Order: sequence, then C-alpha cells, then structure tokens
Amino acid sequence: MRNMLRTIAFTDWLSIAILLAFAIVPFLTGDFFTLSLTNQILIAVTAALSVHIMLRMDLLSFAVPAFMAIGGYAAAMTAQAGATNLVVLLAVSFASAAIVALPLGALVLRLRGVYFVLVTFIFTEILQLLIFETPGLTGGSNGIPRIPAPTLGPLVLNTNHLIVLVSICVAVIATVVTMGLTRRYGQEFASIEENETLAQSLGLVAWHYRTIGFVVAGGIAGMAGFALVNLLLTAHPTSFTSMSSVFYIAYVLIGGRRTILGAVVGSCLLVWATKVFSSHGEYSAGFFGLLLIIVVTAAPNGLVGLAQHLLGRVKPRSASPRPEVADAHV
Amino acid sequence: MDGLVTTAIIGLSLGVEYALLSLGFTLIFGILGVINFAHGGFYMIGGYAAYAAVHFAGMPFPAAVATAMLVTALLGYVCELLLIDRYVSDHLTPMMITLGLYLIISTALIVVFGPEPADFSFPIRGSLRSGGIYITYANLIVLLVCATVIAAVYLLMYRTDFGLALRAMADNREVATALGMRPAQYFPLAFGLATGLAGLTGALVTPTLTLSPFLGDSILGMSFLIVILGGLGSLGGAVIASFIVGIVEAYSRVYLGGSKGALALFVVVLIILVVRPNGLMGRIGRPA
Repeated sequence: MRNMLRTIAFTDWLSIAILLAFAIVPFLTGDFFTLSLTNQILIAVTAALSVHIMLRMDLLSFAVPAFMAIGGYAAAMTAQAGATNLVVLLAVSFASAAIVALPLGALVLRLRGVYFVLVTFIFTEILQLLIFETPGLTGGSNGIPRIPAPTLGPLVLNTNHLIVLVSICVAVIATVVTMGLTRRYGQEFASIEENETLAQSLGLVAWHYRTIGFVVAGGIAGMAGFALVNLLLTAHPTSFTSMSSVFYIAYVLIGGRRTILGAVVGSCLLVWATKVFSSHGEYSAGFFGLLLIIVVTAAPNGLVGLAQHLLGRVKPRSASPRPEVADAHV
Repeated sequence: MDGLVTTAIIGLSLGVEYALLSLGFTLIFGILGVINFAHGGFYMIGGYAAYAAVHFAGMPFPAAVATAMLVTALLGYVCELLLIDRYVSDHLTPMMITLGLYLIISTALIVVFGPEPADFSFPIRGSLRSGGIYITYANLIVLLVCATVIAAVYLLMYRTDFGLALRAMADNREVATALGMRPAQYFPLAFGLATGLAGLTGALVTPTLTLSPFLGDSILGMSFLIVILGGLGSLGGAVIASFIVGIVEAYSRVYLGGSKGALALFVVVLIILVVRPNGLMGRIGRPA
C-alpha cells in the first residue's frame, strides 16, 4: 500500500510539474498559435480532471460542459458587474457550478450509476437550450461579449502572456483540489469503485461520497469554464456543446483513468494532435473514437497505465522486495 | 379546437417515432446491460442509407427503407459480435466502445456525405384533411408503419421462443445461461435487432424532418429521456413514455414555442427520479 501511494504521489507531482512548465511558454514565444494551443491544453486538463474525479467512483459524467457553462457565464456576469478581481472570479466560477451540482447530485447519485450517465448527458443538452431560451440573462445566441479582463490588484491580466498564466493558475488549482479530494476520500472512492454493494453493507453511505465528488468535480469544471471564457473574452453557448463532453471523457480514458497524470497526458497529446491536424479537423472526432476503442479494449488503464506497466517490467529488481499485497480498501 | 386535435395527432406521430427509436435502446440495455451511445449514430446511418439507396441506387422509397433497416441491423450485429461481446459483462468498457463507435459513425457520415443537411424528402406530399383537422400523408404513413413494427416487436418478444429467450436473458443472465441459452448466440441478434429498429426509424423519419450528420446527440438525449421516464429496460414503459414525450413536445412547440417543452420534460424526469426512481413502468432492474 505504501509502495502504491508513493507511485501515485510521483505521478501527481509530475502532473503539477508539467502544468507549471507551461509557464515557460510565454517567455519563449509570442506566437499566437502556440499560446492559444497552450491555453486550450490547460483548459482541457482542468475539464478532464472533472471527468477523472467521477471516474474514480466508476461514474461517467457528461455534465462537464454544462458546469463549464455555469461557471463561465457566472464569471462573465460578475466581471461585467464590475468585480474583476481574479480571485473573486475563480471563487464565483467554482461556487456557482458546485451549488448547481449539489442538488442534482444528491438527487441522481442515490440511484444506480447508469442513471447518472443518462441524466448528466441530458443535463448538458438541456443547459444549451436554457442558454438560448434566456437571452435576457445569458445573451441567448449572442452570448455575453466584451467581458472585462480579470485584474489582480493594479495588474490587468489582458495580454496573451498573462492569459496563459491565468490558465495555468486554474489548472494547477484544479490539480491540487483533485489531489486533496482523492487523498482525503481515496479509500471511500476506491471501495465504491470496487464493490459498492459491499461498501454500503459495511456502512459506507455511498451517495454522500459520490455527491461530495460530484460537487467538487462540478466546481472544477466551472473554473475550466471561466478559463475558457477568459481566453475567448466572450461567453458563448457554442463553447459548451454536448459533443465536447465526449472529448473530455476521451482525454481521460486515453491518457489513463487511474491517475491525475493520465488526464494531463491525455489532454496534452490529444489537444495538440487536434490542432496539428486541424487542416483535417473533421476527422478528429473519428480519430478520438478509434483511439477510445483501441485503448479500452487493449490498454484499459490508458497511456499512463501502459507506461507504468512497461516501466514496472523493465526494472523489477529495483522495486522494493516487499510482497505486493492486494489492497483492502474497505 | 381543431388546432388542439391536429396538435394531438402530431404528438401521436412523434410518439410512435420515439417509441420505435427507444424500443431498440431499451432492448439493448435490458438484455445486454449496455448503454448504447451509438444509437443516435445508427439512426443517422439508417437515414443516410435510405438517402443513398434512393438517390444513388434509384430504389423506390419502401425498398430503400427496408435496405436501411437491413444495413443497420447487420452493422449492429457485426459490431456486437466483434467488439462489444467480449466486454459485455464489464461495466464501463462497452459504454466506451459504443461511444467510440458513435464518434466514428458521425465522422464517417460527415466525410462521405458532407456536413450540410442532405436533400432527402418524403416521396408523397399533401395531407389528409377533415374540416380543420389534418395530417400530412407522410406523417400518416410513418405513423402506420411505426405502429405496425411496434406491434411486430411486441409479438416477437412475447409470442415467440426467440423473444422468450431474450426476456429470460434480460431477467437473469446467469440462470438463463445455466439453462442452456447461449449469450454469444442471442446478444448479437438482440443488438442487431435494436440497431435495425434505430435505422428503420432514421430511414422513415429523417425525410419528414431533416437529415444531417449532427442529429445523433439530440436523438440520443431524447432516447435517454424516454427510457428514464419509462423505466430502463422496460419495453412497455418506453412506448408509454414515448407518447407522453411526443404529446408534450407537440403541444409545447405549438403553444409555447422554442424548446420550452424539452425543459419541461427534463423537470418531469427529475421529479420522476425522486418519486419513482425506476420510471413509470420500471421494475427493480439489473444492478448497473
């Protein structure tokens, strides 16, 4: 168990190191394409972490774009109302999405997991419609344009370089929150994932923990929404399509669903691949689909899982001589 | 008054279309325990296969619809046999496979037929009128065909040995297998039957509405809504819920405008999940 904890901790640190390393990019280049790609990767990582948290409990969430929309629009409205402080906007985007996630989660997560999948899918579809139906509040199909840039004290974060730093800040906060959550509730989540009936019969109120996870996952997606709105300077319904939820799921599964690093690696590689091959953009969904099928059938723990497996085989001697004990999660 | 009746007729024809679509979806969940994310994809394949049969092969419309159904059924059969079957008792894997299939299908359709909606219209125009009440011939034909097929599915499931075997499989796979039924034989057939129904719906309905490679999401969302309302895995529930959804959608579209009907339905679904978590007709179903 300690051995396992140590490897998990290593991949988590690696994740944060990768995210922080993106801070070098604005100092190396002013190229608009590269900066935009960096931003998109960081936003994808944040959104993918929201999927990752729910997958830790074997739940597949399609609600990420919905919570991104809630967080993004809430931050946009707050900024337009004059509160442009970055910390305030981050808090608003997290809290607004988390507040919506709480009742929805408490309602749906008492039921079998399959209902969660279906309801989150419908929720994202419905939220799109809701945005179009409430032009007074959300600007409808026009969205909310010309959002003032966030500020940090006297500093106005409105250059391309500083936007990258905001995105990094969001992604790192999301990673740390995810790490904290999966550390704090790791045992409960694992027992729910492995055998929910057993966990419940031993007194674990599964839906409590699922709801906690869902609320935090919602908040993280809300922050991703803020980062996206901050990048585009406008909150628009087309940023939050239900199709994008499938992409975030693909990032996590292809990267590896067991570790935070999986979400980071999957997002980096696939967003990069989408942009590099953007002249054939119409193929990217099919490419993801194919990868998804290959990964879940051939390497269920994704690229990171595959790498861990291969590394583990390369140097079995250096591993601690302690015998591997099957984890007793409950 | 005439308007009310005409809207009710529109609601009924929407209802049978949804019923045919969600029967396939709920059949797959009930028997295999798999959420088929590719269901909207097979619906679109059905539409495009019929379109291609009419426009490129010059087939008459009824033959094109039959072809579309066969093509989607065969595709579903092959996909189940080659990809899904091995992972069917797993929980997330089959879901991911169908999700991957759905992405591939949408992309393939965009690549082959282009992102613009295809020019595919029902061969018969005009409408049947009686006073102020009317229904287009296209809707009438779709309604009749769908109703006939639903009846046929009912007979297949409840009056034949094959249906009995499928229902036994849905009730308790372990016992059914112990009694000598072979999942490897029935699962691909059930999957093919279900995707065939989705393809048939697509072939019949898209010419009366629209045929585009981006329909899948909303079709899938609609199937989800209906099966939650009706109870996952329940055939009768799916049909009843389809009619409720069809009628609510028709009236809200005419009298409220826009997509307020869908919003109302989502609220209804949430209420149902609180009051009757297993849906209107749901039983205490398989653990998922």
